[in-house]
Amino acid sequence: MRRLDELTPGEEARVRAVETSGHVLRRLFALGLRPGARVRLLRRAPLGDPLEVRVGESFVALRQAEARGVVLEEG
Amino acid sequence: MGCPRCSTPAVHPGRRLARIALLGNPNTGKTTLINALAGTRLQVGNWPGTTVEKLEARLGDLTLVDLPGTYSLFATTPEERLARDALLADPPDALLVVLDAGNLERNLPLALEATELGIPMAVVLNLFDEAREKGYDLDPARLEALLGVPVVATVASRGEGVDRLIEAVQTAPVPAPAVIYPPAIERALARVAGAIDAPAARAIAALLLAGEPVAAPETARKAAEAARKELAALGLDPFLEITGARYARARELFQQTLRGHNPRPTLTDRLDRFVLHPVLGPVLFLLGMLFVFRFTFLLSAPWVDFIGGVQEVLAGWTYGLGLPGLLASFLADGLVAGVGTVLAFAPVLFFLYLAMSFLEASGFLARSAFIADRLMHAAGLPGRAFIPLVLGFGCNVPAVYATRTLESFADRLRTALAIPFMACSARLPVFALFAAVFFRERAALVVFALYLLGLAVGLLTAWLLGRFGRLEPSTGVMELPPYRLPRARVLLLQAHARTMSFVKGATGPILLAMVLIWALLHLPPGPLEQSLYARVAGALAHLFAPLGLGDWRLVGALIPGFIAKEVVVGALGVSFLGAAPPDALGFLAGLGQLAAAFLAALQGTLAALLALFGLPSLPAAAGGPTALQAALRGAVTAKAALVYLVFVLLYTPCVATLFALRQELGRRWTTFSVGYQLTVAYLVALLAARILP
Repeated sequence: MRRLDELTPGEEARVRAVETSGHVLRRLFALGLRPGARVRLLRRAPLGDPLEVRVGESFVALRQAEARGVVLEEG
Repeated sequence: MGCPRCSTPAVHPGRRLARIALLGNPNTGKTTLINALAGTRLQVGNWPGTTVEKLEARLGDLTLVDLPGTYSLFATTPEERLARDALLADPPDALLVVLDAGNLERNLPLALEATELGIPMAVVLNLFDEAREKGYDLDPARLEALLGVPVVATVASRGEGVDRLIEAVQTAPVPAPAVIYPPAIERALARVAGAIDAPAARAIAALLLAGEPVAAPETARKAAEAARKELAALGLDPFLEITGARYARARELFQQTLRGHNPRPTLTDRLDRFVLHPVLGPVLFLLGMLFVFRFTFLLSAPWVDFIGGVQEVLAGWTYGLGLPGLLASFLADGLVAGVGTVLAFAPVLFFLYLAMSFLEASGFLARSAFIADRLMHAAGLPGRAFIPLVLGFGCNVPAVYATRTLESFADRLRTALAIPFMACSARLPVFALFAAVFFRERAALVVFALYLLGLAVGLLTAWLLGRFGRLEPSTGVMELPPYRLPRARVLLLQAHARTMSFVKGATGPILLAMVLIWALLHLPPGPLEQSLYARVAGALAHLFAPLGLGDWRLVGALIPGFIAKEVVVGALGVSFLGAAPPDALGFLAGLGQLAAAFLAALQGTLAALLALFGLPSLPAAAGGPTALQAALRGAVTAKAALVYLVFVLLYTPCVATLFALRQELGRRWTTFSVGYQLTVAYLVALLAARILP
């Protein structure tokens, strides 16, 4: 199973599931990171963490550990 | 004109609308919109009982209220909870739901959620120009027909479309709920909503069903609890079902509103390639931080000096009145000095607030948090904690207020409790006084080590609180909003209102502290050795004996240090050398001094503006030892001096910081922080006394 933190910058994929809970889940959903959404990894921060992704017209930052909770569709 | 395509007949105009609330995601230009609507009638205040900012404007018999930026009524931050509670507990008479037209699909779910509140509403497609630049061709009329409420396209920064808004919202109908949920959810909603007697019953039922802690009748809570169990047995998560249906409906509406889309790279795409570049990014980040720090403290310094000058003149005049000595001293050294202490913070806060609101509204704050996140993460803090901590090296008071830009209360708490350990500029005169005498050529090294010690204790505090405080962990999830140029008028208005809120609130507590310290020093009248101050200091000296600090004059100076750290120097001077005779001042001489101080402040501002873009200059080296330094050398050992400085570094910075902590964290945490600071200062100083040779 591929996860969001395994994308290379510029790569795009579709979200299959978000395996987090509580506030982080709600915030990710509100920002558009939810099952079915197309997400593209834009870049990593200069120190390697966090990551910046693009979902629709939103730019969202999230930490490596948080990105691991986002499961992607294969292929 | 109103809403010709709306399904529900519009209420007749002329209906009196008392309150209109603006609801929208963060960064949708709500503040700019309310500024465009209200012009000079815009007022900045606070939500009752909180420090969350409230923008309000009166237009004729209408009141416009800006709610804190909100992604959803499923709140995740204190501001979002406030917006939700304001909507549910005290519903406005109508809603303006402000959407970012350039990010419509993500913004629409909030509008759909709002249709369940049972309040007349109109939708604003703001930032319509940005949407066009991004290549979106949208049809507002189509959305109006689909939603059944007026939809107005605006460009708030240029005032376009804004004149239509008031009319649209005054004739707006109560919308029909815009989302139909799966049957099992609908049945549960109907059951819960049936037990709620409020126009917002459907919205409240949805929140209860998803387990949100909102106010509702007991019967409704019980019904929701039962329904949650039944749905769980069917394998249904109400939160996922409800939001899923809303997102699906939002997508449909968006696609029907969209006439065409030619994606084009935006300014944000282009700028971020530099600002977030692996090498260039950190360089720009550090330069930016340096600029904010220098902007705040360079520009405010001349005005802090000016307030000091005014204070001196007022004190001089008071002594010139020929009042009895004790009364004159009370007025000059108690009251005038107290008010001066409060006002001296005003310029610093004003310039800090200007810098912070600019960073936040322009989009740079989120980028700096992105770059600093990994560093802060090590201490269990989010990237946004970086700026408040750095500001703490200038002054702890604005630094504590800067924690407002953090999203969760847990993060604010962790950061605000770490800030008092940052060696603010008021501690430097104390360091310099001792370092120059006792450490000579190693003075700079000792001062630098003290700064590092403060930083280490602060970060450790934040980490310990996160580790053992049972607080929610910090998250790195945040939106990086598009770059935008904020309105100067709004920034100035906000900075002014926030500064005044401090001055109004802090004057009482700081004046009280000042009068108490004055009474200690001057009562009973006579030599200092027989004052209350000397007696209290004598008792404290016993407590400090294990640290090697048994001299009452040294320990006593820590008491007025609660007012402000630089006061320690003056108190030491009085204890070791005796009080300087007060300078009485004639009326005209005083006026002359005031004028000179004002001119100096203007000149200083000009110089600061130029220096802002130059290189930082190091303070000039001090001359030979002063009388006080000579006296200290005779009374204290080098080791005791270092232990003393460690205590000065770590104990409670000043009353103003305590007041700021109380405003931001509440009384309980402030009390805790005082106890914690005193304990930590004592223990670390004790440790230093034991391990130093």
